[in-house]
Amino acid sequence: MPDDDLADEASQLTIDGDGNNEINFTAKRLAQEARQTLSFGGGSGRGIRDVTEEFAAAAKQLQPGQLVKDEYFTLFEAVGALEIMDPKMDSGYVLPGDSLEPDFDVCKGLPAGEVLWIMDELLRLTVVWHDGYPLSQTIFTSLHVDRLLSPDNRAPYGFSYGDTTLRVMTTEERLVHLVLRAYCIALVKSCALVLHTIQSQNFYEEEDFVTHLFGRELLPEIGADDAVKLIDEAVSVVEVAGVDEAMRAALFERLQFARTYLSLLVDESTDWTTLTATRLLAETHNLAQALPKAFSDKVQRQLATSTPPRPMIAISWDEALQRWMSMCADIIEAERLTDFDVCQSPHGLQRAIWAFAYREPQPNTFARAYLQTLLFASEQIAEGMAFFDLMLADIRDLVLAGDVLADPHSFLIEIPADPRHKCSRVVEAFMDKVFDEYMNIYRMICQNRCRIRRTFSQSIVILDRLETEAMRADAELSSITPGTILPNEGGSKEVGLNPLTSWVKYYKLQIMGWSIQLGFETGIYLPHELCMMYWYLMVFAQRKRKLLEHVGRFLVARRKHLASSRSASQDVEAAASREWLVVLHRQADFTESLSCALWQLCELLTTLEIVKPPKRDHAREQLLYDVRMKSYLGIAHEPIPTLEEYKSAQQSIPSIDETCEGINRAIANAKSCLVVLKKTTPQQGKYVGTEEQWRREIKQLETTCVAVAVQTSQLRRVADKHGKQSAGREHGLKGLVEVSIPSPGSRYHGWWVVPQIKERKA
Amino acid sequence: MAGVEASTESAYAVQYLDGFINKTLHLHITDGRMFVGQMKCTDNERNIILAMTHEYRQPSRADVKLAAERHEKAGMPGNVKVDMKKRFLGLVVVPGQYITKMEVEG
Repeated sequence: MPDDDLADEASQLTIDGDGNNEINFTAKRLAQEARQTLSFGGGSGRGIRDVTEEFAAAAKQLQPGQLVKDEYFTLFEAVGALEIMDPKMDSGYVLPGDSLEPDFDVCKGLPAGEVLWIMDELLRLTVVWHDGYPLSQTIFTSLHVDRLLSPDNRAPYGFSYGDTTLRVMTTEERLVHLVLRAYCIALVKSCALVLHTIQSQNFYEEEDFVTHLFGRELLPEIGADDAVKLIDEAVSVVEVAGVDEAMRAALFERLQFARTYLSLLVDESTDWTTLTATRLLAETHNLAQALPKAFSDKVQRQLATSTPPRPMIAISWDEALQRWMSMCADIIEAERLTDFDVCQSPHGLQRAIWAFAYREPQPNTFARAYLQTLLFASEQIAEGMAFFDLMLADIRDLVLAGDVLADPHSFLIEIPADPRHKCSRVVEAFMDKVFDEYMNIYRMICQNRCRIRRTFSQSIVILDRLETEAMRADAELSSITPGTILPNEGGSKEVGLNPLTSWVKYYKLQIMGWSIQLGFETGIYLPHELCMMYWYLMVFAQRKRKLLEHVGRFLVARRKHLASSRSASQDVEAAASREWLVVLHRQADFTESLSCALWQLCELLTTLEIVKPPKRDHAREQLLYDVRMKSYLGIAHEPIPTLEEYKSAQQSIPSIDETCEGINRAIANAKSCLVVLKKTTPQQGKYVGTEEQWRREIKQLETTCVAVAVQTSQLRRVADKHGKQSAGREHGLKGLVEVSIPSPGSRYHGWWVVPQIKERKA
Repeated sequence: MAGVEASTESAYAVQYLDGFINKTLHLHITDGRMFVGQMKCTDNERNIILAMTHEYRQPSRADVKLAAERHEKAGMPGNVKVDMKKRFLGLVVVPGQYITKMEVEG
């Protein structure tokens, strides 16, 4: 063909141009272009051409370090590229002397002990997977599972692709092809269901859980009920299998376990307690005979992955069982904490979700997704309690108890001229606007700790914006039915309740406080920053306390009115709200007092130069402040105190002795709040269902108070010894005292950091 | 005038290499694997960054055996056809020293 000759001729050019790179290169390009042109004519269908030589020649022309790249491709992205042939990066790299694939025949029959071991190993890996490790490092490392999931395997998904029923199988083969296979299939289908639950709720990929399937599908052609049938068949195989009784029982136990696990995932209504009965699993585990060859991380060479190869995770069988039990316990607790009684009170439910989040060890992603499913899968939080009702109950409990404005009946009135009808439409419109952010509070507490803090920090500005909406709605409401007006606390001017504004403000302040305290728990503040954060926490708590007082005064006025009108149910509601407000007031007072004490203690440690900010040459105070307080700076309604205001509060603190007195007074007040809270009933304090956690928390807070007092007296003693207690603070205790900040795990309460003060030995 | 020559030369080279940006390349490497992806970047050592990359590998002896068994059991006539093993990798950098052959699509 003349065309080919032309291409050949063009490529011939390259041979002569030895010394001259430019000609050489041009020739190559010509040759290549010639070939390219030809390929359009009658060349190969896909139009692939070899450019090895030309490319190499061209690349050589580049200067070292010079890049030819897509303008939209950044070097930042390039850092994430996997380096091929690097054993640490390239999951497909085969070390010299190693084989590509593991040398193990999954079709081979196995003795019962080894089958048992593989089953237990798979359960262990399931636990590790639940803990957040990817499938590629856990269940997918099973060569049996790998064969089932292999892209060219089809339903009914056997280990061998051919028909095995044609010949009579040995017992060992039956144990593999009928029993182990059924177990593997049930487990894989369980994984699919777990993934479905997690992915239909809020979670954070990689951070919480890896949902990646590495290009594999989880047996899409068969359903969970097919898997259950296979398990049942496997049971009948084991019944007649030639194994001893103990072994038979052990195999039964495992098949039953896989069956229960799967059916629990299919049907939410069944009881997870059955899965915590792992005693028999534990007892018969010693019958297992290890067969490590049945698992290999070499499967990662066949998996689609953009990550480097990773090792298999090793935790012991006992530990795995323990974690499994705690997951089941979490799920059972999730059921209990969302039962009908708990869901009747919005605050009770919030408390319950917090209690769930603070279970030890922290519930894993699946358990948290399970809780979210219980809460949000339907349109109602509990039987007869729609989300809307929950929110209305919240508004009623907090700001409008016994008031017709938030009475559910008002929402049913259809006469357009009725002010209740008009008001209900205003309240409804407001609730629509707040709805998402309000429900977020419940959902966010189901996330991991760092995310709770982060999403709360982001929520502050949103709530501040919603406060504007609330003000608008309140104005509209009072234009329809003017509410009660009371003299302002100072007596100078009159104020209205502004119920919706007060309600939003309450949540805003609540979340502002939570965000700081979660900051303490997640350890994001440096030791010298504790002082400022405690001061702001005190300010937020104080504002909340004042807000509650404001709401309380209107409640008292309303109750007087209700008593005269003899509306019993409304009066009961108002009385309950009164008790509830007292509890909230005490809680705010407690937070204010304890943070006041800790602020003063930290402040003292700073001015005595015991705690010092790190040396930063280019740091400016205002900029550091702006960054630290960023989440709170966007607040338009009642902005937070400025840096200057904070600093002037600092300067008003007197001598060491007087400061210590101040701390002790604050602690005494905090303790007196706890005394009242301790006597509060679950109904008053809205902690139905979380009684135990309520008591435990109060105990932790009491201990925290004691710890603050002890540390204060410790500091005072050292100051005394060196004759500095009444002296000015400028002399300092530098070098005489050391301070350590306890890590979140070693505190009496994770939300309260109490600096540990020790005299330094000379 | 060597400097001028060198610069036109390298300008040519850059222009030529630029033509490959976002083209689909097939890179064969020393261990027999092939990578197919879109070229994003290269340098004077012919290190190449590919995006959306798939790895292709010759089927192993075990794969061939398995396919043959299946073929036989299904009672199909003729030769057994075994596909190359393919998996998705995403963004990779293939060091120039391992590249044995380069092809471009289209």
